[in-house]
Amino acid sequence: MTDRLQSHAAFNALQLAAQTRWNEMWEGNRLIVSVGVDSSSEPKGALRVLAACRQALAGTDAIVREVSGNGAMWMEPTVEIKRPGEPPVVYGWIGPDDVPALLAGALQDRAVGVRGADAFGEIPPLGEHPFFKHQQRIVMEDFGVIEPDSIEDAIARGAYNGLIKVLFEMTAEEAIAEVTASGLRGRGGAGFPAGIKWESGRKARARPKFVAVNSHEGEPNVYKDRRIHEGDPHKILEGMLIASIVCGAERAYNYIGGEYPLAIKRFRKAVVDAERLGLIGPNILGSGKDVEIRVRTGGGAYICGEGSALMYSVMGVRGQPRTKPPRSVEEGLWKRPTILNNTETFANVPAIINRGGEWFSQIGTPTSAGTKMMTVQGPLKHVGLVETPMGIPMRILIDEVWGGMRDGHQFRGVQTGGVSAGPLTEEHLDYAVDFDSMTEIGGMLGSGGFVVFDQHVCPVDFARYLTAFNRVESCSKCVPCHRGNPALVEILDRIRLGGGSREDLSLMERTSKHIIDLSLCGLGQVAPMPLLGMMKMYPQDFLDHIDNHLCAAGACPVSATATLATAAD
Amino acid sequence: MEDVAPTIAGPDPEPSPERYSDNNLENEIDLEEVRKILSHFHYRDFQEAQELILSALQEINEHFGWVSFDAAEVVAAHFGTTATRVYGLLTFYADFRTEPRGRHFMLLCHGMACYVMGSQRLVENLEDVWGIADGGTTADGELTVQVVNGCLGVCDRAPICKLDADFFGDLTPEKLNVAIRGTIAGRGSWRDAHHPVPAGSNHDR
Ligand SMILES: Cc1cc2nc3c(=O)[nH]c(=O)nc-3n(C[C@H](O)[C@H](O)[C@H](O)COP(=O)(O)O)c2cc1C
Ligand code: SF4
Ligand code: FES
Repeated sequence: MTDRLQSHAAFNALQLAAQTRWNEMWEGNRLIVSVGVDSSSEPKGALRVLAACRQALAGTDAIVREVSGNGAMWMEPTVEIKRPGEPPVVYGWIGPDDVPALLAGALQDRAVGVRGADAFGEIPPLGEHPFFKHQQRIVMEDFGVIEPDSIEDAIARGAYNGLIKVLFEMTAEEAIAEVTASGLRGRGGAGFPAGIKWESGRKARARPKFVAVNSHEGEPNVYKDRRIHEGDPHKILEGMLIASIVCGAERAYNYIGGEYPLAIKRFRKAVVDAERLGLIGPNILGSGKDVEIRVRTGGGAYICGEGSALMYSVMGVRGQPRTKPPRSVEEGLWKRPTILNNTETFANVPAIINRGGEWFSQIGTPTSAGTKMMTVQGPLKHVGLVETPMGIPMRILIDEVWGGMRDGHQFRGVQTGGVSAGPLTEEHLDYAVDFDSMTEIGGMLGSGGFVVFDQHVCPVDFARYLTAFNRVESCSKCVPCHRGNPALVEILDRIRLGGGSREDLSLMERTSKHIIDLSLCGLGQVAPMPLLGMMKMYPQDFLDHIDNHLCAAGACPVSATATLATAAD
Repeated sequence: MEDVAPTIAGPDPEPSPERYSDNNLENEIDLEEVRKILSHFHYRDFQEAQELILSALQEINEHFGWVSFDAAEVVAAHFGTTATRVYGLLTFYADFRTEPRGRHFMLLCHGMACYVMGSQRLVENLEDVWGIADGGTTADGELTVQVVNGCLGVCDRAPICKLDADFFGDLTPEKLNVAIRGTIAGRGSWRDAHHPVPAGSNHDR
């Protein structure tokens, strides 16, 4: 399989061969051991678990596979074992030293579930575990199932079927109509309808045109986009190719955060393999369509996730946003029309093309269709990456999916929207998690990262942390953001140190309004939102710091002052 | 399973004694080696040249631990641009260093999971006990720290740091200090974590 495939029929033949090989592997009589290796399990020793499995099984006919994790981070490293005549069973908490016992059939207490519909003896299906029960996986469908480095695995599971459809069976208009009908909205934060963007991209007259994937993920609260690259890079690649073909773009870029070496490595491997098979490059499968793929990496500046800044970064200059219009679909990379979407947005497209926009629009809520990948941080029992239908109540996510608070930690709130929105407290937990529901109380879906915090976190200090993030990451191009955020941090520090006054509260509100109204780009325009949200949800904590020099969480130096003051009295 | 720190990542470093022989900071970058790295970055046109500057800088930064002004000039010459433009990139993007790294390199995660689990105290501890803030190097050249504003992606073990090739999770200031002392006493260096971003130009992707 080294030659570029020249036709639709040649692809079908390859797919059939891949499927046959896949089925024979799973129905055969060989032991199959799949180790989940990704950026969250590798630090816990997953590569050494993999090496231990390879060593233990060397010389046997067992198959040892390097898959990615399935999102259940707290139980990593995970290993899936399929013995002849038995279903595949996932085991958690497997260190390198546990491998011999695991392979010998011991460690049944670490069996988490069966990958499949039915229980196996005592072991229930994985889907009954509270972490998986509420999930519906479109993007993450094959996480932990395929070897991300194997294009044959991906093709056996249906990868590139959507590409085939837009190459040979659908017109560009029909494909875009499916994306529009699906109701797919951008997964990068703003939630702009993808179909409308693609339609403008297709209609743009300037040539050449480009497609760009925003895989920058510089926010301090998410880890989902890198994990799509690590778990199923072909979904992204197929989405990019489909977008390029239906919008008439000749080149597609994927801009990946430079901090994610494994994501970059696996995506590059996917590109090389797809190129080898003729799914990328000139005259794809003899269709007459050409698409070039380029991978570019970021340098650790959060602002480069903003659309125009990302494009400057790709073009090798400092990533500083520019005023809009013109929008990127009119004037983007190299001043040409550029269709930019988030990684997860692209990764949803193959399923939409294959199964239809109508199918997708039935999932989730009427205004937020589909599923959303969500990550959680904080003192919860089941920290991990999930994909659930839009509209799931926050309470179910926290209490069931993520297992509730760890012992000794009391729920205080959940920060939403990363550094761009405010928190929800106990009384708001019945709000639905989708694009629109939480905005009325100052929350936001954003990129789907939620941060649960407990009694040890002080809302004033947290507000300072979030504002300081925006201060550091401001690109310094425009004055309201460049000067305003340091001013907010200064006032917050005054309050934290016990020198604040009640006027400071209204001063912060006024300053925030200036920053929001006058900043040039999305960073400045929302930078004060976390602070305003904290002030709204936890007014008493701010007043305690100012009036009583009291920090209930014991996080701010104000408490030290209070002790000193009492001692002096 | 609670107390798994240190959890060690990646393949074990291959022992190569000469790599650890010098305790001093490397204050010079071998420009011949820079040229060798750059020779992998072919470009066919102006656009591609611009697009590859950042990738080339990343590879040099990973290889030497930093990018000197002299190296920036060589990069500028290779891509037909000015040294000030290249230096402007080095100072804008947080991943680049314009000063040498110490023998050991720590990424201290200060993302939101780590923050709500107490990374602020770790940052303060570094200043109090080791006298270094974000980007700083201890006076003896043993340790450089970079505080990461993003997320290292291991939030279930927050707060967490990566010291050379090893990750240490569920940290407290005390555990962090133990980890640092252990690392300094060991034979490793930041090069063990060398995790090259496979860059190169588009052709050899
Ligand atoms: C400061 C800032 C940072 C951003 N960071 C990201 C990011 O890391 N990833 C992302 O996909 N979108 C990010 N965005 C949103 C992008 O500007 C853009 O809206 C998005 O990539 C469009 O794709 P979508 O419609 O599929 O969401 C950021 C926006 C701002 C203002
Ligand atoms: S709002 Fe902030 S980040 Fe955006 S352009 Fe202005 S200074 Fe830069
Ligand atoms: S925030 Fe530190 S690992 Fe995620």
